Amino acid sequence: MGRASVLSDGLDDVRKVARGWRWGRRPLVPRSAEAFVPEVERSVFPTAWSRTLPASAVREVAQKAGLEPVFRSQVRTRVEGLDVLDRVEGPVIFVAPHASHLDTPLILLSLPDRWRRTTAVAAAADYFFDTWWRAVGSALLFNTLPIERRGGAIATTPGDVLAEGWSLVIFPEGTRSKDGWMGRFRLGAAWLAVEHGVPVVPVVHRGTFAAMPRGQGWPSREPSTGHRAEPARGRSWTSRRGRRQLTIRFGEAISATPGESANDFAARVRAAVSSLHDEDRTTWWDSRRREAEGKTPDLSGPDVARWRRVWAQSESPVVDTERRRAWSR
Amino acid sequence: MSRPGFVLEVDDRTPPLVVHEGEGFRLESFPLGTRVVYPPETLPALPDVEAAISEALLNPVDSEPLPALLRPGMRLTIAFDDLSIPLPPMRAPDIRQRVIEAVLTMAADAGVDDVELVAANALHRRMTADEIKHIVGERVFRSFFPQGLLYNHDAEDRQNLTHVGLTDQGEDVEINKRAAESDLLVYVNVNLVAMDGGHKSVPIGLASYRSLRHHHNAKTMIASHSFMDHTRSHLHHSAWRMGRMLSEHLKIFQIETTLNNEVFPEPYGFLMKREWEWSIRDQASMLAVRRGLSVAPARVKHRMFHDLRAPYGLTGIHAGETEAVHERTIQAVHRQQLVEVQGQSDVLVMGIPYLGPYNVNSTMNPILATCMGLGYYFNSYRGQPMVRRGGAVILYHPVKADFNQLHHPSYVDFYDEVLAESTDPLVVEEKYEQQYATDPWYVHLYRTSHAYHGVHPFYMWYWAAHAMDHVDDVIWVGADPKSVRRLGFRAASTLTDALEMASSTVGPDPSISYLHNPPHLITDVH
Repeated sequence: MGRASVLSDGLDDVRKVARGWRWGRRPLVPRSAEAFVPEVERSVFPTAWSRTLPASAVREVAQKAGLEPVFRSQVRTRVEGLDVLDRVEGPVIFVAPHASHLDTPLILLSLPDRWRRTTAVAAAADYFFDTWWRAVGSALLFNTLPIERRGGAIATTPGDVLAEGWSLVIFPEGTRSKDGWMGRFRLGAAWLAVEHGVPVVPVVHRGTFAAMPRGQGWPSREPSTGHRAEPARGRSWTSRRGRRQLTIRFGEAISATPGESANDFAARVRAAVSSLHDEDRTTWWDSRRREAEGKTPDLSGPDVARWRRVWAQSESPVVDTERRRAWSR
Repeated sequence: MSRPGFVLEVDDRTPPLVVHEGEGFRLESFPLGTRVVYPPETLPALPDVEAAISEALLNPVDSEPLPALLRPGMRLTIAFDDLSIPLPPMRAPDIRQRVIEAVLTMAADAGVDDVELVAANALHRRMTADEIKHIVGERVFRSFFPQGLLYNHDAEDRQNLTHVGLTDQGEDVEINKRAAESDLLVYVNVNLVAMDGGHKSVPIGLASYRSLRHHHNAKTMIASHSFMDHTRSHLHHSAWRMGRMLSEHLKIFQIETTLNNEVFPEPYGFLMKREWEWSIRDQASMLAVRRGLSVAPARVKHRMFHDLRAPYGLTGIHAGETEAVHERTIQAVHRQQLVEVQGQSDVLVMGIPYLGPYNVNSTMNPILATCMGLGYYFNSYRGQPMVRRGGAVILYHPVKADFNQLHHPSYVDFYDEVLAESTDPLVVEEKYEQQYATDPWYVHLYRTSHAYHGVHPFYMWYWAAHAMDHVDDVIWVGADPKSVRRLGFRAASTLTDALEMASSTVGPDPSISYLHNPPHLITDVH
């Protein structure tokens, strides 16, 4: 065997391994082997350092000078309901459905600076804290702290963080939605709110699944709609082309009543999220009327074929961007 | 906690999988949907081996404790499995050494003077002094070998064979004379796979050709479904009849040991892991070993593999009455190796590694490769074969016509003369077996050199007879086409080519199963 042949065979092997074992990307387990993945005893990754003054300073620069410009260059956002934060004292728990990796930056970058700087994000320990560099990166940029989502056990760290006066972003589903609709709420967020006596601020967003669903590493652009000759009435072209539209709405804070169980409170939080989503999709008045009639659409979505559920969520929300005039021309 | 074996279904997330092929391995990308059978992870070893041995000897199954069977003036013979198991050879100290030392300690305490040790190698080659020493350890070797009290069984030494009698089906039971005339025969076994042990130990390991021919023949072996299930193997049925008959004449104290799946030492540890769980270090080791193998001269490559000593751990030891002991042994083997599989496949893929029972410190010639693939691996099932009747088998091995002239002289002639005329086990048996079995030169080499018996290549061919009868197509990937044609099979360069060739037998879209072996596994096919 010649030297060149040995070299090229060696390179072939390296290429094969790099592709097969996904170098530089998160390793995947074959689906039929997932049931046999051993439970790994993880130690709670220390994140206290990420809430110190120097780390906060670094994060401020990273978020405002790095994350925000990139984020805004890729998506358009409409933020509503921030006034609720004027009527509540921190810390709070922001509870939101989880459809995309865009959810976290969307929430953080939509918060007023005062709130953003004192808000941490609960993140899956097995996903964001599986390697030291991912753990350090996410803790530094997003102020994440690890929570265990396997077996329902929750690490002690979130309670400590609340006790220190930090607000928390928690996605009670524990994982990103596979079809854009909301899944089962776990009890962790409600339990924390009950246990530590902190209010919950429901948050809803739309469009993140359409922009960057599971399996996608970067936000996609709005597909061109060449078949439309004119933009719909009251809507501009820009809402249909280029950057994807995201919306986010903060709802009125709710607190657990004395003696209320985490289970009952979680149901109330979920109902509040559904109603808020209805409001974001339609109007405040319409959503109130539907709520009064008990007809608020459930965020778990319609019971139809899976492709129709995905189809419905894969369209970015349409936002009325036309400037209103005080006097008609 | 060791994870059980399981069946992987290849999907878009599955990395290339290791397939052994002689003194090397390749990374193969299997078609989506291929089922891959993985053995259970290695079981934890018993923490105190000496205590386990002592417990087994003092509290045997359906037998008096060993010390109660020992008395001054008695004739004690200790027989033990030869180097054909375990595979790879066990890292010193071999478990047989530790058991034999415990037995001898008790014999010495009881004042037994007349002790001999016999390697139960049947028609296998005589082991060298070093090979015997590796099995029994330096202490036992020094005490017995120089005095001629530790030796290989000689199946052609008429003076030292005893015809004990006939079974109810007229089968000759003829075994080593010293063993047959002992007051107590202690057999020390290593039960690597389910076909070992039980009545296969004494009636086969210490037998002569005259006795072996009753079950080592094409007809019996075609009807053994499979060798790994003694309740359904005609070969074992015959051995069981002989063993039961023997136990009426001879007191046998059977000691059986079972090992875990620690087959490969570092830096080959990655070969025992599930590929998608390979760490960066495992991937680097694999790449380094692959590169090393590609540039190493053949002799070095041979040494790289044949010098491997497996760090096996003991999972169980049982002693006492043969059948009662063996039932417990089989359970322990199944705990380590059994994998449940639903349904058969059209195509069965197997990678043949560098080592089989008959090429330890030697060469795996084409006949042994066939025996390993179609004999041992194909028969690693319980219930029904992994591949349907009329299906195809795809094997990976270079199948070079390289023979070790010292160990396998009759294989050369079997390959050149017998297989050139017919590859049908029944035909070659009828026409040539007697000639090879009684050839004085082969007998001489078997008795005085280190050659397998003249009839041994026939037995290897019979091992494969059940598979040849069951499937319609056998294709070797990466093999020498000329050698493979001599064996009566076909050769392909790649898996894709092999599947294309097999499409005439199993259609263009067959179901495929791959046995991820070694480490050892047995499929329980429902």
